[in-house]
Amino acid sequence: MMIESTGQKVLKVLLYVFLIITAAIMLLPFLWMLSASLKQDRDVFTFPIQWIPAEPEWANYSRIWTQIPLLTYILNTVKLTIIVTLLQLFTSSFAAYAFSKLRFKGRNALFLGYIATIAVPWQAYMVPQFMMLRSMGLNNTHLAIIILQAFSAFGVFMMKQFYEGVPTELCEAARIDGMTEYGIYARIMLPLAKPALSTLTIFTFVNTWNDFLGPYIYLTRDQLKTIQLGLRSFIGQYSSEYGLIMAGSVVTMIPVIAVFLALQKYFVEGVASSGLKG
Amino acid sequence: MKKTLVALLVALMAMTSVFAAGGSEDTSADGTTTLTWAIWDYATTPYYDALINAYEAANPNVNVEVIDLGSADYQTALQIQLSGGGSEFDVVAVKDIPGYNNLVKAGLLVDLAPLAQADGLDTSAYGGIVEQVSVGDSFYELPFRSDFWVVFYNKDLFDAAGVPYPTNDMTFEEYDALARQMTSGSGSSKVYGAHYHTWRSAIQLFGILDGEHQITDGGDYSYLKPYYEMALAQQADGVVQDYATLKTSNIHYSGVFYNESVAMENMGSWFIATLIAQTKAGANDAENWGIVKYPHAEGVEPGTTLGTITALAIPSSTDKQDAAWDFVKFVCGEEGAKVLAGTGNFPALSNDEINDIIAATPGFPQDEQSKEALNVAQLYLEMPLHDKSAEIEVVLNEYHDQIMTGNMSVDDGLAEMGRRVDEVLAN
Amino acid sequence: MFSRKEKEGPAFTANGLPIDRSIRIEKSQAARRAEVNRNLVAYSFIAPNFIGFAVFTLVPIVFAFALAFLNWNGNTEMTWAGLDNFKYIFTNEMFLASLKNTFVYTIGTVPLTLVVSLFLAIVLNQKVRGRNFFRTVSFFPYVGSLVAITAVWNMLFNPSMGPVNEILIRLGVENPPRWIADNDWAMFTIVLFSVWKYMGYYMVIYLAGLQGINSELYEAASIDGVNTWQKFWYVTLPQLKNTTFFILIMLTIQCFKVYDIVYMLAGAGSGALSEATTVLVYEIYNSAFRYWRLGVASAEALVLFAIVLVVTIVQFRLDKD
Repeated sequence: MMIESTGQKVLKVLLYVFLIITAAIMLLPFLWMLSASLKQDRDVFTFPIQWIPAEPEWANYSRIWTQIPLLTYILNTVKLTIIVTLLQLFTSSFAAYAFSKLRFKGRNALFLGYIATIAVPWQAYMVPQFMMLRSMGLNNTHLAIIILQAFSAFGVFMMKQFYEGVPTELCEAARIDGMTEYGIYARIMLPLAKPALSTLTIFTFVNTWNDFLGPYIYLTRDQLKTIQLGLRSFIGQYSSEYGLIMAGSVVTMIPVIAVFLALQKYFVEGVASSGLKG
Repeated sequence: MKKTLVALLVALMAMTSVFAAGGSEDTSADGTTTLTWAIWDYATTPYYDALINAYEAANPNVNVEVIDLGSADYQTALQIQLSGGGSEFDVVAVKDIPGYNNLVKAGLLVDLAPLAQADGLDTSAYGGIVEQVSVGDSFYELPFRSDFWVVFYNKDLFDAAGVPYPTNDMTFEEYDALARQMTSGSGSSKVYGAHYHTWRSAIQLFGILDGEHQITDGGDYSYLKPYYEMALAQQADGVVQDYATLKTSNIHYSGVFYNESVAMENMGSWFIATLIAQTKAGANDAENWGIVKYPHAEGVEPGTTLGTITALAIPSSTDKQDAAWDFVKFVCGEEGAKVLAGTGNFPALSNDEINDIIAATPGFPQDEQSKEALNVAQLYLEMPLHDKSAEIEVVLNEYHDQIMTGNMSVDDGLAEMGRRVDEVLAN
Repeated sequence: MFSRKEKEGPAFTANGLPIDRSIRIEKSQAARRAEVNRNLVAYSFIAPNFIGFAVFTLVPIVFAFALAFLNWNGNTEMTWAGLDNFKYIFTNEMFLASLKNTFVYTIGTVPLTLVVSLFLAIVLNQKVRGRNFFRTVSFFPYVGSLVAITAVWNMLFNPSMGPVNEILIRLGVENPPRWIADNDWAMFTIVLFSVWKYMGYYMVIYLAGLQGINSELYEAASIDGVNTWQKFWYVTLPQLKNTTFFILIMLTIQCFKVYDIVYMLAGAGSGALSEATTVLVYEIYNSAFRYWRLGVASAEALVLFAIVLVVTIVQFRLDKD
């Protein structure tokens, strides 16, 4: 592996060509979004596509802050996202430990039931759920959104799959050393599950951040609304002002990208950080 | 077993409504009543505030609070909030007929007929609209806005081409010929003679203007054929923009008019207020515009057109019915109509005086024709009230799309449309 | 309670994994008591998530399933419908079309996304220049607001003026496809979009999975003199089994529940999906929120649920073997 042969060099070139093409395909729509966000509305959908606007319309970015209470929406979303993500991380990683490393009665049935409910589309039980939460006095509260988002089967399933990759011998050894199950969870599993935890953090963060339907049904008061609601009401009201819509889309994307960048180094620091090499 | 199940679910629902009923208070300590009004697009619609201010000035002890449910899925959001009877709303705006029909069927609205009768309200002043939304002797909404379709045109483009303006008495043949005459250029200087937005109403409903057909009847839709054929031929000849292109590029109906790429465009009268505002803001290049009455088939009176209404209703769950009814009467009545007209919008309660107010709005075209175009001879609702309007609407939209994208021939598409609507009606 | 458990340590080693080397124990009375304890400890782990999940999600779901046998519009009294709702949906051609389309969509999207995301993860797990950049960029489509990216996508694939078709024409394709506007190409376009949108997301999961592979396995393989391909086939792939299983199930469920992507791409314009593009959840949405026939919507959801349950059980079985 030390000496690179010509074949490997060719392979490497091909690899980069592939990566650059892939990156372009991934990035192109966002470049368009960025370029559209700097255009006047009438120029957004013109052909051929003009990638660099002749006169950048920077005003789109200042207008979105004044057209809707964007700052309130962002603060609400940040609050909800942080609470949901923390709850989700804790409850999922906790429950997944039992599903993966403990044997108990009804485990498989319970687990399958958990997974299966993911398959039920929200549209089907939204009305009963809404009536239930409203009768509990949770309509127009952030608590409703937290409750809906924080206890998902998805997180449990994901964490369980990662735990299964951790050798059972580690747990056994800890048990012999007199550690309780809670201790094993906290001191052995969690540190090892860093890549999975950071992945789950990102997914939960993105989901909560981008969630539209939940807030749409439960949050009708302006001071409670989230950023996606803002963006959609924006699109509804300024449906012809695509420059503005794109500017809003760009702004709402930035926090998620930031979180991704902050967490992505953990994807590569796992049980065995050397991984697969050349 | 099934009885137990039903009973259990009913009990559960009953429990919910008991919980929910405890929520709202009638009047606050200082004697003011707060009315909660469900609407959409608060920020971009100037007349909400104008109406509320006018009402609160006349009724100092009432406070009107708005809840904006957004326009995209307004009816869905509204009905979810109202379901089970636990909503906080006292007055709700109703956006379309299928949505109205759903609310009525679910028993969520108060019957306004007895209230109107008790107050001696003259419903005939609404030009037959109230009758069109009546279910038997009852009606559950009172319209406050009524928009109708006209043809907008760009005077500068007509002047430049040396073609006379469209008129208030235009048959479909004349309209088609004019559209073809006005088509010119290519690339960025291309001018399309006419424009149809992607909504089915823009083409499909030409066919109902003769008053001989109801779009909800199902069966034989071949009476729509001439209009689809006209539109498809215009599309093929580059007289109008390609439907598939419009559909996939989210082109808004206003943009094409603003940037002077269409000579004529059929659209609802709500576009008048927008055009005035956008011209003032400098966003509209087609500053010199006018309107004329909708084209008509041979033998149909000019001024026959399509209408869309926006109405107010009172949810049956409110405990402030009297206060709500008073507000509804105000907004839908004479006072509300004047406020609406002052913002360039068309109130449902229409008469010459109201039209004069609108025609006098700064920015409204100054020619006589445009003013005359405001006189509607006969109005057909874009979607008449029908027990199955929501289902029928979906089918109509679906085949409109199939025909306009060329996935189906006009004959096949209309035949399928009829078959599917019949199926809906049979179920 | 915990002290006793510690003494009985070995009883806890079993974990039911396919690769597990569990110790079989004789069932004595002590073991039975231990089992009760073990159950309690396990339940205490599950409780925080399960209670929230059961109260706020499971209860409404059970309620919704009961609705499948009733007629209800969300407000007035419920009436018994028996199997009428099921009879109705199975004679409704749009529902049947949506079943077919959803299957086609799932079969098209799942394998493609799985392969592409795994490939991308393996490439981006290597020491390549600009790795972080490439990783971040692949995650973009998942993060972007659907409204914005479907608008762009539709623009790029515009049948008459879009750059994609312009390139195809330049490459000598005489009649380039009309993509979303053509019934025969619409589903394919939607699949393409979905793969594009989701491959970065699943790549992230694969990346996390790749970190869990013990490097000693590769070292051992190198000493045995196997080539890169063999390493992938005999080390990487088996080691990623749990991850692949997770992705397979989640992706399948996600595909069966597809709605907003299809609606935004194909429903643009008229706001209605045709027989060529309609999907299950669109029909459920229509039944519930356009027609307010909640019983019908529940029946449709129950069918979707049953299908996904069967598929998931099959996948679980295959995983166990």
